[in-house]
Amino acid sequence: MNATRSRQLAILGGAPAFEQPVPVGQLYFPSWEKYEAQFRDIFARQYYTNQGPLAQELERRLATFLGVRHVICVANATIGLIMAAESLGLKGKVITPSFTFIATAQSLEWANLQPVFCDVDLGTHCVTPQTIMPQLNEDVSAILAVNLWNGSCGPEALQDFAAAHNLKLFFDSAHSFGCAANGVPIGGFGDVEVFSFHATKVFSAAEGGCLTTNNDEIAKKLRNIRSSYGAGPPVPVIKTSNGRMSEAQAAIALMSLEDFPAILDRNRRLFSLYRECFAQIQGLRLIEPANVSKTNHQYIVVDVETDAFGLTRDELLQALKAENIIARRYFYPGAHRCPPWDGRNSSNGTVLPNTETLCERIMQFPTGASVSENDVLRIGELLQAISKWAPDVRKALER
Amino acid sequence: MAIAKKERVNKRVIYDLALFGGPQLFSYIISTSNLVRPDIEVFLSYSRQFHERKQYTNNGPMVRLLESRLAELHRTKHCIAFANGFWAIVLTMKALALPGRTEIVIPSLTYRRLADIIAWLQLKPRFCEVDPQTLAVTADTVAACVNDETAAILAAHPIVNCCDVEGVAALGRRTGIPVVFDSVESVYESVAGGKIGSFGRAECFSLHASKLINGFEGGYVSTDDDDLARRLTLMRGFGFNGPDNVVEFGLNAKLCEAHACMALACLDDLEDQVARNRARYHRYKEALRKAPGLRLLEFDERYGTSYKNIVVELTPGWPLSRAHTLDILHAEGALARPYYSPPLHRKSMSYPHIPADLPITDQLAEKFMLLPCGHFVTDADIDALCALLAFIDGNAAQIHGRLAS
Repeated sequence: MNATRSRQLAILGGAPAFEQPVPVGQLYFPSWEKYEAQFRDIFARQYYTNQGPLAQELERRLATFLGVRHVICVANATIGLIMAAESLGLKGKVITPSFTFIATAQSLEWANLQPVFCDVDLGTHCVTPQTIMPQLNEDVSAILAVNLWNGSCGPEALQDFAAAHNLKLFFDSAHSFGCAANGVPIGGFGDVEVFSFHATKVFSAAEGGCLTTNNDEIAKKLRNIRSSYGAGPPVPVIKTSNGRMSEAQAAIALMSLEDFPAILDRNRRLFSLYRECFAQIQGLRLIEPANVSKTNHQYIVVDVETDAFGLTRDELLQALKAENIIARRYFYPGAHRCPPWDGRNSSNGTVLPNTETLCERIMQFPTGASVSENDVLRIGELLQAISKWAPDVRKALER
Repeated sequence: MAIAKKERVNKRVIYDLALFGGPQLFSYIISTSNLVRPDIEVFLSYSRQFHERKQYTNNGPMVRLLESRLAELHRTKHCIAFANGFWAIVLTMKALALPGRTEIVIPSLTYRRLADIIAWLQLKPRFCEVDPQTLAVTADTVAACVNDETAAILAAHPIVNCCDVEGVAALGRRTGIPVVFDSVESVYESVAGGKIGSFGRAECFSLHASKLINGFEGGYVSTDDDDLARRLTLMRGFGFNGPDNVVEFGLNAKLCEAHACMALACLDDLEDQVARNRARYHRYKEALRKAPGLRLLEFDERYGTSYKNIVVELTPGWPLSRAHTLDILHAEGALARPYYSPPLHRKSMSYPHIPADLPITDQLAEKFMLLPCGHFVTDADIDALCALLAFIDGNAAQIHGRLAS
């Protein structure tokens, strides 16, 4: 990149590199033609919700895809997490990471449980038996582990740890649809796993999610908690909810499943291009998928090393925003610094040094449907220019 | 899809009843679910808008349009859309319940999951009595349950007409206890004091396919309270106020764009739908004369009503138990339902609650049933169903005999 072009950085007064904001989030969606055909069918069938034929088909197909006995589709992943906690009959405290989306901890509060925040591994950003151990005491009834980014937290080791300490184990696998650990698809680990089908995820129902389990009894409970429709044989549960997925959501998900191989392929190509870009830039390190034999490549997560790059993570974000690249801090701040837990001693007074570090350094870049391969190359060039002109960028930001 | 109808065979002897082995009267199921189908082209034209803008959820353009249209309908300052009515009520009560108090007053003769909603708030339902004429709460029945532990009042409208909205709202103002209305069955109704939607601190509605406005799944809350509207909008989206800034405790209860498009298409059809419902209601009113033991609950037509739900009382003149009547109707493909039975205080609850003794509710819970209504029900269906009811009435002794054998 030559000096003339680099002076045109938007933060230094040039025109933005992108005319429209480029967001993070996958945002794949069925083509209009497919959408129209599917919804004409729904209108002809006049079956709109209550575990209709599409929801049933989706559950069958996902059970095969995820290699798990039971799939219970739900309105969204947060309601799914609440239902999961409710179905396990937990009491007291549940250990969960702070470095996760806020819904993980919120779901526990809704299920009348107290989250106890543990730290995460600096390399994988996930919980490990070692990060959980310091928080363990007799009030803890379960671990809600989180599979992050394009990887996993190493579910086998956590299963052994939970069994050894007689704890229930469930997973927030919102990020991990289509991933596998040692050849085993994410979805069959622990007591329950919860996936998100939100529009920003690799597998979309616009809103939606599913619960997966190999445990017949838990599956029955979940179906009874979700709604009476499609509940199957009634089993006693403390209280019910509405966690139903509509036929509209199921239709979008079924179309997304059809598109899924193409989506994975596109994500993989974008990820490879980003990898090449970051390899040429000092101070930006792409987080590679951890603990997985198969990945969905849905997140471009980067660790910003300020000394090498020349700017802090937050300075870089502003420089990118000026170019209409809406990169994001993720996650920031940690859940333990958000209400209602920020004033509480939810991590038993333990500091979470790795979480604090990651919250200051980690960011994600746009990928998915909104980004072309050319866009990635342009983002790469911009990053080089921003790095090169870092002192000027910093001065411009200080003004 | 045109549903092919078989030639209907009138019941001549009791062995013609499907319950006793005869042919089923209805070749497709008719139920108490509204299942209104708006114009597919209207739905698609709304859908195109979000599809082109590539915004599929997260308070998208169609959700915002729906919210403003609903606020117009209810003549309130705000309507906030949710993933479903259940969590809409949970979040509204969470936002309004007086801190430190433990009880929410709700009727027992109401939606079967209403007590579970209170349990999700970690509060205790205290069940109140209803008025035998309106089947609904009144200021007096609610006041009898208000005490120092009352965190809020969740007053539910009955299935036909409205509860004492103004009385209960006034009780709330007098005592300082927040009043929320469960107005799921009263979307289109008005009372002397105005349009349903504008009473109490907030009113909660459902966009479930079985309700007046079909949004596949969904719900919404109407309110004139700016602060409540702001908080609810935050709470349904994890409490995020802009990126990285969680300011409220919440969850995900967002309505997606496809659901909003469906509700918008239904709103466009609403006046027509009410006219269709009105025609069905009048058909029932006429045809039910052949079954004088059943008393139709009449709509109060003075201020505006949706005419959606068809509820009858089984009077002492009706010769069969409700359970037997429902068995016969179900076998024929008519999914009539008992009216809110069992009532909530009679169900086993494994969460904290206030046990209640509610003799009027107990009595009422045995007496009413909902007859099929909504989009699938034709005039011919209504005539056939009422002829069936007349047949049951005229052959009750023989039916009793067969049932006993």
